[in-house]
Amino acid sequence: MDASMPLRLQLTGITKRFPGVLANDDVSFSVRPGEIHALLGENGAGKSTLVKMIYGIMQADAGEIRWDGAPVVVANPKAARKLGIGMVFQHFSLFEALTVLENIALGMDGTLKSRDLEVRVREVMSTYGLLLDPHRTVATLSVGERQRIEIVRALLLDPKLLIMDEPTSVLTPQEVEQLFEVLRKLAAQGCSILYISHKLHEIKALCDTATILRGGKLVATCDPKQETSRSMAEKMIGAGLKDIVRSQGRSLGAPKLAVSRLVTSKAGHFDVPVNDVSFTVRAGEIFGVAGVAGNGQNALLDALSGEVLGDDKDAVSIDGYPLGLLNTTGRRKRGLCAVPEERNGHAAVGDFTLSDNSVLTARDRLGMVIMGLINGGAAKTYTGKVIADFAVKALGPGSTAGSLSGGNLQKYIMGREILQRPSVLVVSQPTWGVDAGAAAAIHQALVDLAAEGSAIVVISQDLDELLALCDTLAVINGGRLSAAQPVGEVSVEEIGLLMGGVHGATEARDAIPA
Amino acid sequence: MPFRLEKRPEPSRLMQYLTPAAAVALTMVVGAIIFSLIGYDGMGAVREIFLTPLTNAYKWQDLGVKAAPLIIIGVGLSIAYRANVWNIGAEGQYVVGGLAGTWVALATYGMSGPWILPLMVLAGVVGGMLYAAIPALLRTRLNVNEILTSLMLTYASVQLIYYLIRAPWKDPMGMGFPQTRMFAEAARLPTIIPGTIVHLGVPIALLVALVAWFIMSRSVFGYQMRVVGTAPHAARYGGFSENRTIWLAMLVSGGLAGLAGVLEVAGPFQRMVPGFPTNYGFTAIIVAFLGRLNPLGVVFAGIVMAITFVGGEVAQTTIGLPNAATGIFQAMVLFFLLGGDLLVRYRLRRVASTPATGAA
Amino acid sequence: MEIIIPILVTLVFAATPILLAALGELVVEKAGVLNLGVEGMMLVGAIAGFAGQFYTGNPYFALLCGAVAGAAVSLIFGFLTLSLSANQTATGLALTIFGTGFSALAGAPFSARPIQLMGPLFPPELATHPLWRGVFGYSAPVYFSFFMVFAIWYFLQKTRAGLILRAVGENDLSAHSIGYSVRGVRYLAVLFGGAMAGIAGACFPLLLTPQWAERMTAGRGWIAVALVVFASWRPLRLLAGAYLFGLVMTMELYAKAGGGPLSVIPSELWAALPYLATIVVLVLISIRRDASTNAPACLGKPFLPSN
Repeated sequence: MDASMPLRLQLTGITKRFPGVLANDDVSFSVRPGEIHALLGENGAGKSTLVKMIYGIMQADAGEIRWDGAPVVVANPKAARKLGIGMVFQHFSLFEALTVLENIALGMDGTLKSRDLEVRVREVMSTYGLLLDPHRTVATLSVGERQRIEIVRALLLDPKLLIMDEPTSVLTPQEVEQLFEVLRKLAAQGCSILYISHKLHEIKALCDTATILRGGKLVATCDPKQETSRSMAEKMIGAGLKDIVRSQGRSLGAPKLAVSRLVTSKAGHFDVPVNDVSFTVRAGEIFGVAGVAGNGQNALLDALSGEVLGDDKDAVSIDGYPLGLLNTTGRRKRGLCAVPEERNGHAAVGDFTLSDNSVLTARDRLGMVIMGLINGGAAKTYTGKVIADFAVKALGPGSTAGSLSGGNLQKYIMGREILQRPSVLVVSQPTWGVDAGAAAAIHQALVDLAAEGSAIVVISQDLDELLALCDTLAVINGGRLSAAQPVGEVSVEEIGLLMGGVHGATEARDAIPA
Repeated sequence: MPFRLEKRPEPSRLMQYLTPAAAVALTMVVGAIIFSLIGYDGMGAVREIFLTPLTNAYKWQDLGVKAAPLIIIGVGLSIAYRANVWNIGAEGQYVVGGLAGTWVALATYGMSGPWILPLMVLAGVVGGMLYAAIPALLRTRLNVNEILTSLMLTYASVQLIYYLIRAPWKDPMGMGFPQTRMFAEAARLPTIIPGTIVHLGVPIALLVALVAWFIMSRSVFGYQMRVVGTAPHAARYGGFSENRTIWLAMLVSGGLAGLAGVLEVAGPFQRMVPGFPTNYGFTAIIVAFLGRLNPLGVVFAGIVMAITFVGGEVAQTTIGLPNAATGIFQAMVLFFLLGGDLLVRYRLRRVASTPATGAA
Repeated sequence: MEIIIPILVTLVFAATPILLAALGELVVEKAGVLNLGVEGMMLVGAIAGFAGQFYTGNPYFALLCGAVAGAAVSLIFGFLTLSLSANQTATGLALTIFGTGFSALAGAPFSARPIQLMGPLFPPELATHPLWRGVFGYSAPVYFSFFMVFAIWYFLQKTRAGLILRAVGENDLSAHSIGYSVRGVRYLAVLFGGAMAGIAGACFPLLLTPQWAERMTAGRGWIAVALVVFASWRPLRLLAGAYLFGLVMTMELYAKAGGGPLSVIPSELWAALPYLATIVVLVLISIRRDASTNAPACLGKPFLPSN
């Protein structure tokens, strides 16, 4: 790159404070034209807050932003786009009921006629190989396709800086590779890219520079190609990494959870049902279900937990006892506990105290109900134990669940289920959005529970997590589950292809465009 | 803006109790100003509506009699609204409860015995439940919005009164008036304080509130209502069926509205007349909110709303304030309460001096 | 022909206020806001329209009074739900209670003092033949309601502003993150809904009964809310729904007027029919499978941006 050109973006002393948290503390770094710059950090490190200020969604409490050498105030996203800043969000800002073209039009500030816009959109799509039908309704698109809309939307503005917020968390490995091609092409044309992620191997593969944030502070700026994944991870996390401790030479027991030809019906418009899923989990086994978001994971969890009932009593059974017609309460009594992906509002009630949240799932197994009345004392004692055993940072059992941070709430929820000593535990995304310390604690608790002879099912989109944690792995795609394989005998490429729907007779979705 | 809203880490308990009181106080202040501006005696209106019923001991029995149905219906609605079940047709369930009681009273006319009144009460409760079962059925089976159905049934129930007292139940000695005959002695609700109009419905209302408070705060039933209303997804995860909860909420709120109806017709009215629907079912919506959806709070809120009813009548005779003014004051209380709810979850913070890269 | 045309005229007059109010509510709901205060706003519009006609005798000014009054009270709803994030269901109910009380208070001095009904828009020479009366015999709000059906359809489907409004109702947080003013759009929608409800309310004294009566809208505002659901948020279906109700209410009027086969059924049942028909209509629409798919995704939910 030409060193004489002014810096595309320069941040000096950016500080942002929220009630009770210092989200960004005196952060300074810069991005050159055409540079792919990684912003690396754990969840909660302040990456998202920082880019929201660059994109004008929030304003900094202190500090300066320079654009092409001149100080600027980015009052709102409109102003950001005017400067030439485009952003692709982690959670897409798309409108499900509208078409691709309508969605793109909403992102444009100009008054381009819809026919002219369509011509431009098709141009950009063919230039970068982002294939989409502009007239399809977003609700009918896959997650990868939705991301393409966001990218097209950003590219139509000829951005000089493109911000990508955790873009690969929802993509298959193959889709990730295609995305990287697009980004490299862009950078070669002089567009700077600010790439936010916590996935180290991606950053090593893609980025020229990496700025690492921890607890709101900038801890290092480095060249990722010169670093090892481990050295960057240690900078990101702070303390040395802890590995999961497994007892040596353990063997798996008898089959415990049996799922047989499980089928769910399509509940909502946007729902992917489960189709003919069968698998067995043995005592002491951790069974992983990998897959890209939106391929039936939610339906699978609901069908296993008993939230959604089918009409086949033998579809789910523990130790041969059929559970298929029992609701969540009935299944818990039989030893099957579950933790859904969404914490606040599904696994826990934000407005309720932790004590009341313990009543939600532990009332029957732990005798918190006597003749229709709730034994508040028992709930409080149990909640205190969960808080202590799982190191939940909370004032006490009387704190509301909503007042806890995401990681702490997840530790509480996992603790609430694990301390009930379920013989089968089904969890979805156990460490999603959780800091590394809490994630390690949760992983260890799962391993320990399995060591005691419970059968565990982990549904996750984080392949690294599954590979580290599980004994057996299967991939869910379009509501169908692939054959289970021992973790040691399966390659990432193979899993990637399965996640993209490329396996045998199953119809391949358009995960890999021509 | 010099102030900024900031989310509280925990909802404020203090504000939860303070906002209803503040809403009533604000209504008195703003009400006085508004009524003065449109040419009424604003100070007088507030004094007569909010204070006279309290200072004049003779009005206390009126307060009790008016508060009782408001509390009974309000308790039922507070349970339903906790479960996020929007039964706003309590007026209709109240009417049908009253009609069911009337039916028993007319069918047993000429008979006597202590069983008649309990039978009427039972009929009233069942009547209210059945009328509430229609929206419950439509909501759980066909996902039809209960707000609209319960309200439409209220309009229909009024026509049902008109039809029954015009034709089949018309008082043969009524000189053509559309009303039923006076109930027999055995079908009238006894007064509990001799020489006053305070009837058995008043202690029943307090008992209902007390029992409901206990159930809502201590039982699995109450927990179920709260969790389904707050987080339906979590409720399903916890093993509580949403449809079952809707049924329970509608039946309890409908049954209590029916109870209020039969107590009204057997107490103050003692016959069915066209003027039986007195808006208690709608005012009880305000009562439920003002009482913070807590049965004990509903007792206080019911008394406050009863004060405005009694006071509104006082103001009508003393300073010629139209009766409709009462409704405006009641709506204002609800407006201020709903607006003030924000302060339970948020607090006002003065914004610090504009930072370097702050807003343009 | 001699029988059908008067029935048609009655039907059109009965349907127009419901159609106007429902069109306003449709736009409000498309922006993601559920305003259940339509009945209250209509009553305020009714008394404002009545007073306007009473004092000036100019029905157009009266309609304007209704629109302004309806928009003014809708602002209370807007402020509470949009600026203070109050519960929309409860605030809408409060608005109806308020509108009922306010109109009764403001209307008290006008009782038993009739006004002039609004005359037809076109000169009477055009409507001499009964057939032409069926086309040219109506007053301005009727033609206005037809115009608005198409105008709102065009606005929502064909204009950029309409696209933004739909986007706000579909996903408020996304619209906010792209940079649209969610509150701004919703305030405008609520004001529009209030003005339409106000005009609808003013139609009661101006087109139907030239006397002031408390609660003269008799639940028509609620029927309008139900019609929006029935129409699956589509303006053209709203037209059909409103005329269906116009038919039911016309039958009620003819039954009350006595004679004919309609009077076999008790008049109270006829009076209850529009409300019962509303329930039937809601049931029918819910049985159709695609009923709720067109509902704005953010309908009734408070807008709570994280910053």
